[in-house]
Amino acid sequence: MKILVCIKQVPDQESRITVDPEKAWAGYAENASYWINRYDEHAVEAALQIREKLPGTMIDIVSIGPARVKAAIRRCMEMGADQGFHLRYEHEDYLSPSIKSRLIAEFCRDRDYDLILTGVMSEDMMSGQTGPMTAARLGIPSAASVMKLEVDLEKQCLYVERELDAGHRCFMELKLPALAAVQSGINRPRYPSLSNVMRAKSTEIEEISYDDSLLDAKYETVEKVLEAGSDRAGLTLQGSTAEKAAALWQLLHERSLI
Amino acid sequence: MDHSIMIICEQSEGRILPVTYELLACAARIGGFYNSSITAVLPGNTPDTDAISGADLLVINSPGLAEYTAEGWEKAALLAAGELKPNIIIIAHTSTGYDYAPRVAALLDGSCITSVSGIELSDGSIRYRRSGFHGKLDMLYKEGKQPLVITVLPGAFPAYDQQAAPGMVRYMNADIQPVHTSNVHFSISDQSNTELEHAEVVIAAGKGIGKAENLELIREMAACFNRSAIAGSRVACDNGWLEYNAQVGLTGKKVSPQLYVACGISGSMQHIAGMKDSKTVVSINRDPDAAIFKNSDICIIEDLEKFIPAFIREAEKHHEGRV
Ligand SMILES: Cc1cc2nc3c(=O)[nH]c(=O)nc-3n(C[C@H](O)[C@H](O)[C@H](O)COP(=O)(O)OP(=O)(O)OC[C@H]3O[C@@H](n4cnc5c(N)ncnc54)[C@H](O)[C@@H]3O)c2cc1C
Repeated sequence: MKILVCIKQVPDQESRITVDPEKAWAGYAENASYWINRYDEHAVEAALQIREKLPGTMIDIVSIGPARVKAAIRRCMEMGADQGFHLRYEHEDYLSPSIKSRLIAEFCRDRDYDLILTGVMSEDMMSGQTGPMTAARLGIPSAASVMKLEVDLEKQCLYVERELDAGHRCFMELKLPALAAVQSGINRPRYPSLSNVMRAKSTEIEEISYDDSLLDAKYETVEKVLEAGSDRAGLTLQGSTAEKAAALWQLLHERSLI
Repeated sequence: MDHSIMIICEQSEGRILPVTYELLACAARIGGFYNSSITAVLPGNTPDTDAISGADLLVINSPGLAEYTAEGWEKAALLAAGELKPNIIIIAHTSTGYDYAPRVAALLDGSCITSVSGIELSDGSIRYRRSGFHGKLDMLYKEGKQPLVITVLPGAFPAYDQQAAPGMVRYMNADIQPVHTSNVHFSISDQSNTELEHAEVVIAAGKGIGKAENLELIREMAACFNRSAIAGSRVACDNGWLEYNAQVGLTGKKVSPQLYVACGISGSMQHIAGMKDSKTVVSINRDPDAAIFKNSDICIIEDLEKFIPAFIREAEKHHEGRV
């Protein structure tokens, strides 16, 4: 069995973002730290758990982005993935999921993956498109927001549980090859083991070239990034911790809440 | 009219769900701008369907569409798109919508914008607004290659006037059978939590509490109030600190207490969806840019491990009549 996990590296959420009104994109502080998208970490863990049940399974990782992305790919290999592939894209700007999914589908073409896993969305863009689009381009079925998955090699199918609104569930079987976009809560991602860290150190991450003309397609673009609008008054309490605590008690008391 | 908008109805067992009228409202806004024709499409297996207000209805009927599958819905969408040649396709951003909408966009090789929260009309074109970066930023998108598929957040557009004149209903019999998907069935979650549902004060823990032991702080804070309950963000539940029946948000509970206190919660749109109707919202977060502050009446920029004990001390002082 061959599994591909598509991952994205995202800025740590407490890193400072600045919005430059002149630019169509948000800038991160120079010292911003980056991490694997949390949902993708769950996807890597799901792949590792399948391999534990089906020994001999190969797990590949692929990611699109600038040089820094290698660190996230390496982290997945430290968790236990077998091989890493990097599609270099140097710009820190909006790259449409339509283009990303075309790059990944192109990458998959002759590699015969039985199962492709992604996170349900990325923490920064929150679009949730790249996974289902990749599946559609490859002509394979997909399920989004997956809370449980099991492979049945004999039946060549993937059993999935999808989470629906208000916590309801939908169960189904998808014919392999298939793609699942996993939701958090499906598992607890493991920490790298020392032996995997050592192995990952000596494994090369392969850079894959692609047809640059794929980047020219005119899909939707982000024209502007703005501070989110505010829905409530938003009184910010000032002073020392104790002063704020006293002020909060007073405010709640005035509103007969305490 | 050569601009065409197609919406895909949100349905359950052939019944059109109310969010469909929000899609129509969104279509009417865009349609007013481009002077578009608007058609609603209903995939299903329903021989008799009532007309809907404000748009013609195209029913795509096939036994294989008796229940939702991404495969079935995308085939129905493609069939309808072939007929209607839409410039824009509007779908609800629900667990069904986000499952198949991006697939439809890819198969039509169009553009796609998901979880749209608003539309802005300016200098001769339309911008689509959506939230990102943990809710901290909004982004304005411009359409690209057509058709443009958008998914619209439930609640973002007030429902279209259901008194408007009903449109025509047209049936198209199709032979759509999912071939990659089988054995589909559903379960209804039984996650009742009467304490949380009836609470007047909800103290909610997020990933920011850091560790299970800090749940004690949340409990002690809750004990300062009458009729209080504790709840959590999805991450707090994923981490096993709380049961899933205490999760607030899109895939959890919707609560509207007198007071909601968010402790170490970033304020993603999926969480806000579950608590935005609370009367008063207080947030404690150490990140001054956290999105939750945009949805709060009282903002406390503090480390919760320091602030909550200080607040509890304050409440005890009053309780013991020392103030
Ligand atoms: C389909 C789908 C459905 C979803 N449904 C839901 C849902 O129903 N409910 C839900 O909650 N989420 C839901 N989510 C997840 C949602 O997008 C967010 O990931 C989640 O709400 C984040 O939880 P959080 O705020 O606890 O964690 P984080 O986003 O990690 O935020 C933690 C916050 O704590 C702050 N913090 C850290 N340490 C401290 C400290 N010591 N003191 C004070 N503050 C601190 C940080 O500044 C940060 O703002 C869903 C996601 C998807 C894709």
